[in-house]
Amino acid sequence: MASTACFIIVSRNDIPIYEAEVGSAAKKEEAAQQHQFILHAALDIVEDLAWTTGAMFLKSVDKFNDLVVSVYVTAGHTRFMLLHDSRNEDGIKSFFQEVQELYIKILLNPLYLPGSRITSSHFDTKVRALARKYL
Amino acid sequence: MEPDVSIETGSMIRIAVLPVGGAIPHPQLRSYVAMLGRHTRIDLSSISSFYSEHQKSPFTHQPWETGSIRFKFMLGGATASPWEDFQSCRKILAVIGLCHCPVSPDLDLVADQFTTACKAYQHALATRCFAFCPSDSQLEDGDNKRENIILFPPSDQKTQEFHMLTMMQDLAASLLMQFEKWVLRAESSGTIVKTPLDSQSSLGSEEFIKAKKRKLARAQKTIGDFCLLAGSPVDANAHYSTAIELARLTGDVFWHAGALEGSVCAILLDRMDHKDPVLEDEVKFRYYNVIQLYRRSYLQDNAQRVSTVSFELEAALKLARYLCRRELAKEVVELLMSAADGAKSLIDASDRLILYVEIARLFGSLGYQRKAAFFSRQVAQLYLQQDNACAAISAMQVLTMTSNAYHVQSKRSSQKISLSPQEFGVGHADGGKTHPLSIVSLFESQWSTIQMVVLREILMSSVRAGDPLAAWSAGARLLRSFYPLITPAGQSGLASSLSNSAERLPSGTRCADPALPFIRLHSFPLHPSQTDIIKRNSQKREWWAGSAPSGPFIYTPFSKGVVADSTKQELTWIVGEPVQVLVELANPCSFDLMVESIYLSAHSGNFDAFPVRVSLPPNTSKVIALSGIPTKVGAVSIPGCIVHCFGVITEHLFRDVDNLLLGAAQGLVLSDPFRSCGSTKPKNVTIPNISVVPPLPLLVSHVVGGNGSTIVYEGEIRDIWISLTNAGTVPIEQAHIGLSGKNQDSVISIAHDVLLSALPLKPGGEVTIPVALKAWQLSLADSEFDASKNPSGNARRISREGSSPLLVIYYAGPSTNSNNSNDTGNSVPPGRRLVVPLNVSVLQGLRFVRARLLSMEFPARVSEALPKQINGEKVTTDEMSAVNRNDSLVRIDPYKGSWELRLLELELSNPTDVVFEVNVSVQLESQQSEHGMPIFSNEGIDFGYRKTRIDRDYSARVLIPLEHFKLPVLDASFFSKDTQFNNGLGDAVSSTAERNVKAELNSSINNLISKIKVTWHSGRNSSGELNIKDATQTALQASVMDILLPDPLTFGFRLATNGRESTTSGNSPGQSVGNIARAKGFISAHEMTHMEIIIRNNTRERIRMSLSVSCRDVAGENCIEGTNATVLWAGILSDIYLEALPLQEVTHSFALYFLVPGEYTLLAAAVINDATDVLRVRAKSISSDEPIFCRGSPFHVHVIGTA
Repeated sequence: MASTACFIIVSRNDIPIYEAEVGSAAKKEEAAQQHQFILHAALDIVEDLAWTTGAMFLKSVDKFNDLVVSVYVTAGHTRFMLLHDSRNEDGIKSFFQEVQELYIKILLNPLYLPGSRITSSHFDTKVRALARKYL
Repeated sequence: MEPDVSIETGSMIRIAVLPVGGAIPHPQLRSYVAMLGRHTRIDLSSISSFYSEHQKSPFTHQPWETGSIRFKFMLGGATASPWEDFQSCRKILAVIGLCHCPVSPDLDLVADQFTTACKAYQHALATRCFAFCPSDSQLEDGDNKRENIILFPPSDQKTQEFHMLTMMQDLAASLLMQFEKWVLRAESSGTIVKTPLDSQSSLGSEEFIKAKKRKLARAQKTIGDFCLLAGSPVDANAHYSTAIELARLTGDVFWHAGALEGSVCAILLDRMDHKDPVLEDEVKFRYYNVIQLYRRSYLQDNAQRVSTVSFELEAALKLARYLCRRELAKEVVELLMSAADGAKSLIDASDRLILYVEIARLFGSLGYQRKAAFFSRQVAQLYLQQDNACAAISAMQVLTMTSNAYHVQSKRSSQKISLSPQEFGVGHADGGKTHPLSIVSLFESQWSTIQMVVLREILMSSVRAGDPLAAWSAGARLLRSFYPLITPAGQSGLASSLSNSAERLPSGTRCADPALPFIRLHSFPLHPSQTDIIKRNSQKREWWAGSAPSGPFIYTPFSKGVVADSTKQELTWIVGEPVQVLVELANPCSFDLMVESIYLSAHSGNFDAFPVRVSLPPNTSKVIALSGIPTKVGAVSIPGCIVHCFGVITEHLFRDVDNLLLGAAQGLVLSDPFRSCGSTKPKNVTIPNISVVPPLPLLVSHVVGGNGSTIVYEGEIRDIWISLTNAGTVPIEQAHIGLSGKNQDSVISIAHDVLLSALPLKPGGEVTIPVALKAWQLSLADSEFDASKNPSGNARRISREGSSPLLVIYYAGPSTNSNNSNDTGNSVPPGRRLVVPLNVSVLQGLRFVRARLLSMEFPARVSEALPKQINGEKVTTDEMSAVNRNDSLVRIDPYKGSWELRLLELELSNPTDVVFEVNVSVQLESQQSEHGMPIFSNEGIDFGYRKTRIDRDYSARVLIPLEHFKLPVLDASFFSKDTQFNNGLGDAVSSTAERNVKAELNSSINNLISKIKVTWHSGRNSSGELNIKDATQTALQASVMDILLPDPLTFGFRLATNGRESTTSGNSPGQSVGNIARAKGFISAHEMTHMEIIIRNNTRERIRMSLSVSCRDVAGENCIEGTNATVLWAGILSDIYLEALPLQEVTHSFALYFLVPGEYTLLAAAVINDATDVLRVRAKSISSDEPIFCRGSPFHVHVIGTA
């Protein structure tokens, strides 16, 4: 498992609808904020990159210092962004794919307004479990 | 590292610009520098006149036609770089002094100062000192003495600029000549140019040899640099090529890279105009080489002392800047990211700063705003690490630039970014069902964590930079947008930092960013009923008619179709009349919020708002009324409120909060400030179109004797005086009073004439109108129990609020407004409506329990007692005295001849706490029967029954006799209808006829009932009438026929013995009674008693009958017939055939002989032969062949013994 990892789902309107610090390192508030800043900044690159490839998994698109941003873009242009310091690309890909399945289940909820925050605790638990499994 | 580097940097001549002499005022300095700054590029063609070729120019391929010399002005000078031998463009090659003559009168001093300043720049090849605005004296003695001070004679801007151009061209020419000189000298001499990279200590012998080899390459490179500066790229390229070759051979990697870099610059300069892909590839290729070479030149051993990383990064930045286009974004990003990675290996913090600044700028120009913001924030953090005010200011400014990317920008800079839902084409109009996706797009890019951090940093840096307004604004944004994410302590901290910032601001400072509280529009109170405005139609006389208040229904099918487009409410305000707008404030934070003042903001300028001071405890919301006065006719728009809170004045727009609430409703925003304060669901209030109209009259009402509600008991009659005052500035010329609301019929009269006679009512005029009111009956629906006030404990009912009738007064000023005659003709000033609620609180009064009809046939015994009791109390009227003697409660029915009594018993209870006196009266109007025959002679008599007093919490029964209501004649014409009615079940009778009959019957009952009046008095001034109609009606319903209609025959017995034969006829009831009364005493046993039976025909037909008389004793035994008969008789007693003419009497005589003294009852009965339909109906017979039997009332005979 990666020592530092931050997972964020960004809606098509560029709003973070889910965020989780999934690293094994001790959680510090400043670090979490910094992670968000890096991920936010990476959106620009994702925006360009997403349209140049047909693949959903964009691999690592950005880095800052030793942190790498990997991105997975769904068909609805929701972006799964993972900030990590490990190089396990296969694991990350599997992680993203499984998270997408969870996300689709969320979307199927008729009471969920697409683009609003994901508050399901079940989703949160599952994502963290996936992070432990793959990252 | 240097900021703002590009590939072309290598061709720019650096000129230090130094202010000399006295301190130059900022505006002047700025304008001088701006003048200078226009000449960064001097065409070679323009300087040829200043250029003189002293010797053979080394720049053989100087492009005199197309080339140019570039300047880079270093304002304030620059310190010498250790790398300036490596890149000649880093050298300061010229110095320009700027002098403002008015502040430095002594030009000699200036000249000395300038010379000293120039000494710091050892490489300066040319120096100039420009002196602006010289005085006449300075002009006079200046010219000849000092060549190095150039005076700019005072003139207009254009001339000065021209002068400047000339000077710069001159400077360029002289620099060119100096370069030529320098190059020629450099070619001949052989100085070794060194960089910090080379070991500075004494060169060892082999190193010296190595250096000697490298010398040539380095010299060639330097010459190339100068060629580039001189604007001759072809020459430069040639020298660079040589240098590249030589450097490669000697393994001088660093200089190889430098030369290669120079060559790229030369190529670009040479082919300035045409950028083709081939060139671009060439540049890319060479530059990647350059970067590679720089990286290779990185030496681990002297990395601590000197590093070439900055050159590598600069090269990367240069290439990135060259490539910086959307299409090449990917490549640029890679370059920049690797450059950013290099930041770690930079030793100097300021180098890192510059690197991040450049990266941010490049990302910005690439359109990657978020990336740019990220690196800007890095810059700001580096600035914040430096502990001085300037750095803090820089940090603040940089952060402010990022605020757009992070969507936390101040409102001042983003007026158009804040979209209103209306702009999406979906307003509140369609029932608040805004499309969810468009709401989502309202809250794009809400990264709350990041936003909070950025705002906090802005706040911190601006506090450190000493910019209280920026600090306030950032604090306000932070608090307003992110209060749910801030701990209570943090909220209080923010509040105190806001206050601290405000202390340093001058009072009355305005800020574009609102802080707290949240303000939303609650409602526009429609005109209070006092000041309704009614459109007036000049054509219609009764202009108010259509506009009557529609009662409880919002929609009436009778009202005219409202304009379809009613989405936008219209509101009319009147000049000079205060108006109110309700707004709701919310303080969702955990500290007490003190709003120093809040008032409506009106941009239209015709509205004076009144400020209010509000204090909001933690987590509360409050609805307050903000008022103001419209001052001018026109439209008013109220977009929000001006709030003075935390020491700063801000404008809070309703629209922003509406958007916020929309987002909160969809779960897009953290929380709804109003709901968290316990306020109710948001109402969608549209801001109506408000227009202000010229003054109108204003009627104000008050009830004389206090505006409190008048307390009356049910049925009480009371006058209420209402005083009306014209409080406006326009006289009232028309007025009309109407009624509305519930219980309208309780208003008996309104003095319309009083009001009309007072017109026109001048401003200040007053009129008082009386309104007579009869309190209505409480029903269960509109009353409520008032348990509190009642001492006796049982709840009593009072009328519910709002059940009082309303007085509606329509009034208007003069119909033509002389002031605005220029207006279009249809402008009749509107009228107004005043609604005065008649504040009546109806208390439950006497309670009617029930009504019963008591029907009695009293035997004679009763007659003895009752008449005596009542006779004494009767009220006699003069004209009727004779008749009235016996006209008491109980008397003999003249038609029945017996003590037949029907009483209406009313049971009343008094649940109130006062005493009531009840007075029953039966009003009998002078009623002529339809046959022209007086019915009773006692018409118009008000029966003076004794007043019944009912104490509190007691009940009483009041008896009302129903004897006077008999019709005189059993009339076929009346009854025929009734026949139909009765047979109507089976017969095919038209329904209309049936209804007529019913109506007739009902009306007769009503007629009967309405004659009965029960009035009451209580205390000194309360009096009223009990409404018993309904109750009576139900009580009477069953037997109304019997009450109203007489029997067809009435029987009466009379004594006819001893010459005392009565001569009175049967239709005087008094006489009959008298006879009977007298008869008692004289009938004795064992005596022949002569009697007469009088039979009266009450119908209009001749009746034939067979009559029989029977006599019974007290036991009810027939004592005439049978074995032990105790009464003997003479004459015929049974089957007497008689014929009675219509409305006539017949008499039949007989005699009785009583053997035993005691009580006897005489009974007469008749079987009517050939009965008509009328009689049958009256008898309620079922079949037509059934005999009609008519029985008289019993008569008592008291027989006394002889002994």
